[in-house]
Amino acid sequence: MAEFDTFIKTTFEELPMEIEMEGVLRDLTAGRQKYKCLRARFILSKDPNKYPDRLWIRLEKGQVVTTPCSVKVLEVLPPVEA
Amino acid sequence: MAYKYYVDNRDFVDALRKTGDVVDVKQEVDWDLELGAIVRRTCELKGPAVFFHNIKDYPGFRAFGAPMATWRRLAVALGLPPESHLKDIVEEWRRRTSGPVYKPEVVDKKDAPCKEIIIEEKDVNLFDLPAPMVHDGDGGRYIGTWHFVVCKDEETGFVNWGMYRQMIFDEKHMTGNVIPASDMGRIFYPKYDAVGKPMSFATVIGPDPLSALASLAPTPLPEPEFAGQLMGEPVKLVKCETCDLYVPATAEIIIEGEVLPKVRLEEAPFGEYTGYRTSPRDKRVVYRVKCITMRKDAIMTVSNMGVPVDEGQLLRSFTLAMDMEQLLKSQGLPVTGVYMWPESTHHLLVVGVKPLYSNIAQQVGSLVLGSKAAMWFHIVVVVDEETDVYSLDDVIHAICTKWHPVRGTILMPEGIGNPLNPFASFQERVEQRSPKVILDCTFPPTWPVTVRPVKVSFSTVYPKEIQEKVLANWENYGFKKQ
Repeated sequence: MAEFDTFIKTTFEELPMEIEMEGVLRDLTAGRQKYKCLRARFILSKDPNKYPDRLWIRLEKGQVVTTPCSVKVLEVLPPVEA
Repeated sequence: MAYKYYVDNRDFVDALRKTGDVVDVKQEVDWDLELGAIVRRTCELKGPAVFFHNIKDYPGFRAFGAPMATWRRLAVALGLPPESHLKDIVEEWRRRTSGPVYKPEVVDKKDAPCKEIIIEEKDVNLFDLPAPMVHDGDGGRYIGTWHFVVCKDEETGFVNWGMYRQMIFDEKHMTGNVIPASDMGRIFYPKYDAVGKPMSFATVIGPDPLSALASLAPTPLPEPEFAGQLMGEPVKLVKCETCDLYVPATAEIIIEGEVLPKVRLEEAPFGEYTGYRTSPRDKRVVYRVKCITMRKDAIMTVSNMGVPVDEGQLLRSFTLAMDMEQLLKSQGLPVTGVYMWPESTHHLLVVGVKPLYSNIAQQVGSLVLGSKAAMWFHIVVVVDEETDVYSLDDVIHAICTKWHPVRGTILMPEGIGNPLNPFASFQERVEQRSPKVILDCTFPPTWPVTVRPVKVSFSTVYPKEIQEKVLANWENYGFKKQ
């Protein structure tokens, strides 16, 4: 199971779930590449076991939400469109 | 003739070892928060700098934290004894900044230590550098905290060095905040971004102490010339590998590339000099990396911004005050001193004046608040010549006794602000607006002597011969030497 986090602009309660989204995930895998940002299409759920990977939510000023979520990465996008 | 200075961080660290102003940490330290926490704590204790010899995951690299976060280390950087009084540091700064200006000297690549290792675009991976996760809650690993970014206005040839924070996004991209009112912002947004043209940049990590100072100090000079003025001889630069920019030859790590026009990626939040995370996660400027050059056993320099005092607060406060003093004196105003406490996170400027005429506080306050540097501060406290601008005790006393809450408060409801102001509303941050205030802590000059209160202190209410007698006998009375 991979582990990611993402920053949101809404409150945790307002965060849309179970719909396809495009955004930036940070890879939390330990090691030199930790905190690498990925542009991606993904679906997330507040059920921590629904999708294969763990997702933590951070508010826009960095506060972490302690409720674990899960995420399914559908496609990793290039960082910058050609 | 060259002044005393250190050509690189390695010499500077050696000098700090001799004065007891750096701690060598030999045990392994994790780049993921532990290193940042150590640097933060020493800043909050006003303690020594830290030199890390063993960084987890990054054998062969070292790191240097809190390079100039105390007056002692600034004194050493300027070739003064570490115990120098702040007034001596001010005098040394005035001496150097009123001396000759030198154009930079370009050296050959073989004489530039920063070219010892060259990594071409195909092999570039920013995660091969030991960029720390500085604070928990930051938006990413900030590789640029004690560094500067070089860019050039191709139209005018004007070169800017400035400390613009930079976060690693992925292997070949960094993101960062470039305020439109900054020098880089005034070049990039209208001349490159608006016309869809990439702008070359070079990030200089681990510059020598005086080049670092030149990059963050306000100056009308191009910073490479200002660095030379501080050194008393030309700063030695070397040409970049991939563009027509020049960087200090003795720097530790150089990251070259292009700032992409019309492209924004997520950046921040970041613990900033105000002591808060204020700017939210948002889409900001993107740097695409094309080359990295560095010294062998390179040193990653790290400043950890937060509550006072770190080097951003100390050095910007110091240099802003010096710049404002120069501005006021250039107008012939009767200024007796200008100072900013680093603890104010360079938001509060104290100006000492001789109150020779009415409304002088409004005059000097309006001038500094109308200056280019005014985006960095919003409170101006104007005191008279009997108040020592460097003494917190004196200035607090002046505010509490000479400032009239109605007559002495001059409000400017609108002025230039910056997006990091914690007190500002969301809209004010977005639009970079800020209210400003001048506190007039002088008695009106029109008050007759019969109305004016008389200050009661050792230096004002005793005859000179009594003062001299007491001072001469101080230790005989049983007091310790002052």
